[in-house]
Amino acid sequence: MSRHRRDDLSIEERDHLQPIRRAARGLWQFATRRRTTAAAMCLLVCLLFLAAFGPYIAPFAADELRVTERLQSPNRTHLLGTDHFGRDILSRTMSGTRITLLLGVAISAFALCVGLPIGMLAGFFDRFGLVVMRVVDAIMAFPAIILALALMAILGKPGLLNVVLAVGLVWAPRMVRVVYSATLALRESVFVEAARALGASTARILLRHIAINLISPVIVQTTFTFAFSIMEVAALNFLGVGIPPYVASWGGMMNEGKTYVIRAPWIILFPGLFLATAVLSFNLVGDALRDRLDPKLRGVT
Amino acid sequence: MLTFVARRAVGLVVSTLLVITITFLLMQMIPGDPASVMLGSNATSEQIERLRDTWGLNEPIYVQFVQYLVNFLQGNFGESLFHRRPVLGIIGQRAETSLWLGLAALIIVVGLGIPAGVLASVRPNGFLDNTMLLLALAGASIPSFWLGLLLMTLFAGRLGWLPSSGFTSILETGNLANLKSLILPAFSLGFVNAALVARTARSSMLDVLQADYITTARAKGLREWTTIMKHAFRNASIPIATVISFTFASLLSGAVVTENVFALPGVGSLIVQSVLKRDYPVIQGIMFVVAVLYVVVNFFTDLSYAMLDPRIRYR
Repeated sequence: MSRHRRDDLSIEERDHLQPIRRAARGLWQFATRRRTTAAAMCLLVCLLFLAAFGPYIAPFAADELRVTERLQSPNRTHLLGTDHFGRDILSRTMSGTRITLLLGVAISAFALCVGLPIGMLAGFFDRFGLVVMRVVDAIMAFPAIILALALMAILGKPGLLNVVLAVGLVWAPRMVRVVYSATLALRESVFVEAARALGASTARILLRHIAINLISPVIVQTTFTFAFSIMEVAALNFLGVGIPPYVASWGGMMNEGKTYVIRAPWIILFPGLFLATAVLSFNLVGDALRDRLDPKLRGVT
Repeated sequence: MLTFVARRAVGLVVSTLLVITITFLLMQMIPGDPASVMLGSNATSEQIERLRDTWGLNEPIYVQFVQYLVNFLQGNFGESLFHRRPVLGIIGQRAETSLWLGLAALIIVVGLGIPAGVLASVRPNGFLDNTMLLLALAGASIPSFWLGLLLMTLFAGRLGWLPSSGFTSILETGNLANLKSLILPAFSLGFVNAALVARTARSSMLDVLQADYITTARAKGLREWTTIMKHAFRNASIPIATVISFTFASLLSGAVVTENVFALPGVGSLIVQSVLKRDYPVIQGIMFVVAVLYVVVNFFTDLSYAMLDPRIRYR
């Protein structure tokens, strides 16, 4: 490596690190600037707290049966009421928080790990991109829940891993699409041209110049993936084909509660409220992130 | 225009072929042998072998694929493992409910979403605008099945105004009053998507309302309402049309869950039952029908762009 090239790169690299530094510096500003964002961040912190410590502070065990206390409306002992087995709704809802967030993280990570490399390569190599995007379009012709249902049927038994795979495979193509279009734009930018003129290899351009500039769109898309995936997991559980019914989950609780909905609406009311709050918070944070990190992205995701 | 249509039509064919390929590949991933699944655990190995022969499962995979392709293009999706009847017939039987539901939901999406968005854009940051944005935000985050259950508790349970579940065929009974059972499902399905349409309609109207020709129209002394409807709305309609076509896919998805909430005998509840029973031919048939429907709707959306905006034809 010649001397002057290292100098050039150090300037260039400082440039590339800027988005990260800017994002880090702006995080606090970001969280506090808008009232809605601040509220959403607070809700997310509460959910995280419940996910981490819920089982320790819950008044009952999530699967504790008290048949004599079945279908009670909210009262002093059971703050949010009980279901048809006499299980405490508050405790079950709290316990569902952990599983929901874990699944959301796993699915988003899966979509990211599959979608990012494929999207980058598709954006960078025209021929490959043409084929990949055709396939992505075709996969996206299957409505999300129908594809997830079919994948659950193919993968076999209900289970955590299968849910992650089924929903992850539904959202990965959407990630590919976002990364693809961002890479297409970045590929034409001046700094990529400069790097190429300096003799940088394709791998280096992809990893050091393009990947780092994909951080903003990818973060934004991941937030939305998270929101949609926890909604979809809840839908799968509600339909009885997600995780096994003995694990307390918001969707599963609503599935069991739907038979009693007219007599005991609180069984479905609270898990749904938690789900809606979680999705709303992630959507709000996603919207705010998009406005903050990359205004050009509006309408893409 | 003709070349435009022809190009899109080729795309339509390619997408359909890809959709068939994907369903084929997915079905290849099913664990176990379809013949032994079909015959159950009591079958002898000769019976299984014979069935594998009739189904062509002993042929090389590309021969199987061609056979599969030919069958699909002829509308032969095989036989349900559970009902022992042709898949297409079963789907057709369930289609009526889903079509009524989809139509009713679409009416709610368009009838609620577009006026809400247009009204909100007339006075940005006004009371209507803020209320609409709040509702749209809620709509985008509320799970449709939860909304459905809540509506059911209120309108079917407490107030007893509307039926809580079920649906009887209108084509068979000729009784239009049956549509009453679809009001709650259509609303819970449509509301979420109406929110999306309203948001798009608002932002696209706001974009257009800043254009010079709007200022000109106002300067000419046109009434505000004429300016908004004739000059702004028409030009704002392309993004709105796009989002409505997206809505179509999400209505298809949402219908699966909504039909389940309200126990409607549609295609959506059929696929859930088939997944629970591992009735693969039915699952594959529904996937195919729905995806092709989606591809066809996209085709017509593209054509409608070309009609709404002549510039698109030359791209």
